Amino acid sequence: MLVTGIKSKPVYAPLQADTRGRYHLMLGMGVGAAPLLRVIGEMRGAAQGLKNTRVLYLPDAGNGAAQTGPAGAAPEVERFKAAGVGDVQAFGGTPALLDHFRATLRQSLMGTRLYVAGPESFIGLAMKIALEFNLNKDEIRAEECGTLARRVYCIHCRATTENVRTNIVSCVGCARWLLVRDHYSRRLAAYMGVMVDAEAPGELPPVKEVFL
Amino acid sequence: MSDAQTMAVEVIGVEQVTPLIKHFKLAPVGGGTLPVFSGGSHIIVVMQAADRVHKNPYSLLGSPAQLDSYEIGVRRMEESRGGSHFMHDSVKIGSRLEIAHPVNLFGLDKIARKHVLIAGGIGITPFLAQLEDLHGGSVPYELHYSVRSPEHAAFLERLRRREGDRIHMYYDSEGQLIPFESLLAAQPLGTHVYVCGPAGMIKHVIGTAQGCGWPDSHIHWEQFSAPPVGDAFEVFLARAKIRVHVPPDQSLLESIEAAGVEVPYLCRGGVCGFCHTRVLELDGELVHNDHFLSDAEKAKGKSIMPCVSRARCKSLVLDL
Amino acid sequence: MNAVFKPNETFRGDFSYRNSPQAIRRFPLPFAEDAYMYSVNIEPHLAGPPGSVTEFAFDVDEHYVAECRERDIVLAAEPLRYQALPHMMSSQWDCLELIMESLARDYPQHFLLSRQGNRWHWINRPLEIDQQFTFGDAATLPREPLDYITRQAQGDFVVMDQREGDLWAEAGMVTTQADWSMDFDLGMTFKEWHGPVPLAHELGVFDRALKFLLNLRLGQPVRRLNWTMTIHPRLDTSPENYPHWGPDRATVTAHNAGELVHLRVELQGLWRLPRSNAIVFGIRCYLISLRELATVPKWARRVHRVLKDLHPALIDYKGLTRYRDAAVEWLAPFDDGAPTTPGTAPE
Repeated sequence: MLVTGIKSKPVYAPLQADTRGRYHLMLGMGVGAAPLLRVIGEMRGAAQGLKNTRVLYLPDAGNGAAQTGPAGAAPEVERFKAAGVGDVQAFGGTPALLDHFRATLRQSLMGTRLYVAGPESFIGLAMKIALEFNLNKDEIRAEECGTLARRVYCIHCRATTENVRTNIVSCVGCARWLLVRDHYSRRLAAYMGVMVDAEAPGELPPVKEVFL
Repeated sequence: MSDAQTMAVEVIGVEQVTPLIKHFKLAPVGGGTLPVFSGGSHIIVVMQAADRVHKNPYSLLGSPAQLDSYEIGVRRMEESRGGSHFMHDSVKIGSRLEIAHPVNLFGLDKIARKHVLIAGGIGITPFLAQLEDLHGGSVPYELHYSVRSPEHAAFLERLRRREGDRIHMYYDSEGQLIPFESLLAAQPLGTHVYVCGPAGMIKHVIGTAQGCGWPDSHIHWEQFSAPPVGDAFEVFLARAKIRVHVPPDQSLLESIEAAGVEVPYLCRGGVCGFCHTRVLELDGELVHNDHFLSDAEKAKGKSIMPCVSRARCKSLVLDL
Repeated sequence: MNAVFKPNETFRGDFSYRNSPQAIRRFPLPFAEDAYMYSVNIEPHLAGPPGSVTEFAFDVDEHYVAECRERDIVLAAEPLRYQALPHMMSSQWDCLELIMESLARDYPQHFLLSRQGNRWHWINRPLEIDQQFTFGDAATLPREPLDYITRQAQGDFVVMDQREGDLWAEAGMVTTQADWSMDFDLGMTFKEWHGPVPLAHELGVFDRALKFLLNLRLGQPVRRLNWTMTIHPRLDTSPENYPHWGPDRATVTAHNAGELVHLRVELQGLWRLPRSNAIVFGIRCYLISLRELATVPKWARRVHRVLKDLHPALIDYKGLTRYRDAAVEWLAPFDDGAPTTPGTAPE
């Protein structure tokens, strides 16, 4: 139950341009703009340039959560344009970006590469959609940056608690105290939460902020 | 697998379908049905010729739902070590053969959003069975079939009847070539491509797909080529404690089997890795003809795939 | 096994489950020597000795009817314990065929399968089922094929699609598991769902196992044993219901360990499936209390020693932490230090 350090936790790596791809679709949230700009810089120098590159961006509201209102003129959008990407769009919230992402994938062709940069929960939700289109790990690169806050799936009542920064959390569905495990499901885009005090009710380990 | 796993079959149908290709129907000796299989599977056919045993893989081209017989197509190979000649010249209605259980190393990807099938010549055979699985399903598919000339288009009537314009034909004799680049550059996300045919065509399709940015996991290929010939050499089997002579036109695997030693195998084509054997001693060089070992492993010289690879050596000792 | 079924045994509430003397003697002890560590202990699933749990492809024992009833209870409360992704339908039919053919062949006194082309007629006498249906047409069965047939088999079943050089858990009936969730793990690859297992990854166990399974042949199934422990003869030790069974771990004392602590052994079988080219993983669960186990002197000594010296990471992962000492203390009087013979045969 209390095992940590397990092998089903996803591993991320700094983004790198994959010039074997023909079309480059980039998703970024908040500080994820920086890795995307770095990749754009790499690609500008390469033979195919940036003509088949599209960026979908979600500005950060400043507290690690996405904005819920209209995007306005986010400064990052200007930076993408200045870097040479003509096809840039900003969104006011995660659902709007993901809807547009899904619509983009419907029109996309083999040879597409997907780059995602942002908090893990943002990456997870994007990957969930990518799965629908049979995009696999060779076609997707993801760099985690920003908050490490997790989505936690309560295995008892199946509710998902968002934005979890602590090692144990009270489930939004059933109020049980859940241990946030490292076992991760791509299908659910969430980590497993298991009742932490079933064997000794009321005995909770100290709550610590670990996923900052 | 081992020889213990074969089934006895009788040839109940032989038809010359093109100048080079014969279609055989095999039924189980004693009646009954043959094992169910998935489209893309092949069987190893064991042929007892006068001077040697041939074991050749052939794709099952019949419907996986029709199990009172298996159907295979055999192309007469010009430079043959004897297997295809044996099938063409010596096998008739009533002949008995041994076959192994079907194995599938060329299956359709079940979550593909589209399948593009590319066949060259005799390479059409695995697709015939796969089309049975695809027909009537919800996933779109198309077949691109290239042959020398119309008389060499095996099974075309059967294909057209069922698939209509999902079949695209290309005749070398009329200068028609499959437009690989434009075909592969225009496929929607989630498409998988499958190619079976001559080595050159396979290499070209793989290279073109990769050039269009396809990941390897979406490119599937199957190649049935005879093991390459080479200089004769000797090998010592350390555990069996016997010396085996490998003549030019017999593979290392076949020679070891002829000497009475069994080696696990699946594809006999250097792809699946099942016959992987450890090299204990080598004075000379290995000739790696497989697609399984990495370049690093080949260079290390500690492993060999006896189904297709050979050696030029003063001595070679294997862990068999 | 020529068993008399005990249809009213329970695996919850009053826990009336017990093993008969024959069931005890045929119990698949997973310890061939006095210590335990992981290995890829896969062997061909060939017919074992008559009366043994490996005599047939799928073992039907005295607990068959009771276990099927228990499964129905779990599913009525939690339908998500059975799941199947849409592309797995051909593998579902493969599994139905495999299980029906095996049971009818091996237990003709209980099961009958007659076929005329696609028109199948299945009779399951212990469960009083008489079903005619068209093979391949799910509308002719009361439930999906995998759901339908696994409600008539003991143990869990996970079906793995093979593609991209990996195995993907994409269908399954999982109601008798040792603490993992089908719902959570659905869609995971082989190494992903084994993620939580400690130590084994470093030993390369899963790399070798995966490579082996990718080449699994039709007609050549394999098997292995896995084990853990459970308090009470409770089959449903799912993470979902951990709030219900977790507290039991804290109720064990050196005095009651004999009745409460159960050795839980999984006989795992793996079969290649013909139409789908997928692999079905059968996980058959056997439970025996320490008291029942101790009626076999060699086993009492052996299990005492295995538990006493178990690697700490395994104690934690297998969930034994709270009661391991009590179990060891309960078994101690049965261990006089005498040598045990290798192998698992009861003595």
